[in-house]
Amino acid sequence: MSHLKVKVDQKLKDEESLASNVGHQKIYSKEAKGRFATLRIWAVFALLGLFYGLPWLQWDGRQAVLLDLPARKFHIFGLTLWPQDFIFLAFLLIIAGMALFFFTTLAGRLWCGYACPQTVWTEVFIWIERWVEGDRNKQMKLDKAPMSAKKFRIKFTKHAGWIIFSAFTGFIFVSYFTPLNDLAHNLFIFELGAWEVFWIFFYGLATYGNAGWMREQVCMYMCPYARFQSTMFDNDTLIVAYDEKRGDPRGGRKKDSDYKAEGLGSCIDCHLCVQVCPTGIDIREGLQYECIGCSACIDVCDDVMEKMNYDKGLIKYTTQNNVDGKPTKLFRPRIAVYGLIMLGLVLTFIYLMAARVPLHLDILRDRNAIFRETNEGLIENVYTIKLVNMDEEAHEFLLTVDGLEGLNMELEQEKIVAQGGEILDLPVRLQIDEADLKQRSTPVFFHFQSTDKDGLMIEGETRFLGPRQ
Amino acid sequence: MSELKNNKNDLSHVQKIIIILWLSFVMAGIATGVFFSVIDPEALRGCVTFPVMSRMGVYTVGFLLFWLLTAASSLLTSYFLRGK
Ligand code: SF4
Ligand code: SF4
Repeated sequence: MSHLKVKVDQKLKDEESLASNVGHQKIYSKEAKGRFATLRIWAVFALLGLFYGLPWLQWDGRQAVLLDLPARKFHIFGLTLWPQDFIFLAFLLIIAGMALFFFTTLAGRLWCGYACPQTVWTEVFIWIERWVEGDRNKQMKLDKAPMSAKKFRIKFTKHAGWIIFSAFTGFIFVSYFTPLNDLAHNLFIFELGAWEVFWIFFYGLATYGNAGWMREQVCMYMCPYARFQSTMFDNDTLIVAYDEKRGDPRGGRKKDSDYKAEGLGSCIDCHLCVQVCPTGIDIREGLQYECIGCSACIDVCDDVMEKMNYDKGLIKYTTQNNVDGKPTKLFRPRIAVYGLIMLGLVLTFIYLMAARVPLHLDILRDRNAIFRETNEGLIENVYTIKLVNMDEEAHEFLLTVDGLEGLNMELEQEKIVAQGGEILDLPVRLQIDEADLKQRSTPVFFHFQSTDKDGLMIEGETRFLGPRQ
Repeated sequence: MSELKNNKNDLSHVQKIIIILWLSFVMAGIATGVFFSVIDPEALRGCVTFPVMSRMGVYTVGFLLFWLLTAASSLLTSYFLRGK
């Protein structure tokens, strides 16, 4: 690790002095073709397909995945989550965070290279750019050329393409929160709500800015994960590395020449690995924190090696230990610890999910009086019980109360029936003979038991207050 | 984290502002989520007077206020950390 750190820091200083002198330069990355580029294209299609496709899916007569903020309900296929289920969401986020730790230790920045929204959307924006402006050389030439009608037209087309794509992205984003059908309908009759317009615009602008303009700068300067991931790395983490022992000394040579006799290594110093790098670094300098592990340099160098009839893998996915000629250990304490924590979290989550009762109870005491005396001379407390039926179906309930001997309960309703998704308000009166009261304040318990579904029950505690004893 | 220290003075103003806005955005998002999962704007209607707005509107305004707060905090922190 120490060896790794030194390299990183040294490189950083060089980079920084450069960066502070010239500011951030626009990076023109060359298109890399190869195994990993193909893998990324698959990842882009899968992930964006999921993002753009999910809102169109229907389930039980409504949108399958709908985070219905206006109604304060999250629908995820058959499951409906209420604000009361916040803990599940928090759990999911913690599990996701832990998974990121786990996979980072194991596989380095695999996330960055293939799954990060920043990477995925940037990839699409680069496709649009390449499609309109041409390859790296054409882009550089175009940018150097003075403004002309042709240049303006090309740039205009590119930005128009980006903006349309961004607006559509914003629209889909909002459709996770407002049903897509309503949104589309309102869009076509020009009656979108102000807040929806705001969020479409906001998300669209963020996409346009991040994937069109900022790109690798997001990874280099803004991403918290990029900053923290180095602390999760160890010498057995999968990284993209250049095989220095094999490659150096670098130098140009003729194909089929006996480079070893000339005192050269396998690297022909073609700089292609630098040209394809989206963050503009030279991987041959060692691991650097800017490297997002996109493996474009692996693809391009493999290509070069093939053309030269050398073995592939001068740049490859490997581990620091492997580079140093030591064995790589897959199982290590860190992995075990992260793995166990994650397993524990997942099991707890599954347990909580399975034990989840789709009912919620709020018991409010009457605000006006602590207690009152009825005409018959009984002590009476008044409550309002809010029973939330978070299930999709209606249920009938039996209400009982205990905790005090001799307690009498009066209900306004004959039957307690809560429709699916209904919040029921139940005024309840509890009465007792003063002689049966032992203390000023006694805990009492309300039980709701469904009469039509076994195991569907909930209990709530409150206090019964009487005069000072 | 030596990277952070090394970098801090070498970032341009625009970069600093973007970092501040972005990280406070993330925090404001979390705060909004937690806050509104506990508190339903409709339930506040009786207690607090605010202009009539849909829940979506209250969420949005709430988020923007949180963002203002977290961004202000980050901005002040970074300002006083300059040490000059
Ligand atoms: S692509 Fe391969 S051969 Fe070319 S400079 Fe990079 S490491 Fe050397
Ligand atoms: S050095 Fe890292 S970021 Fe650059 S091309 Fe290689 S893998 Fe991608």
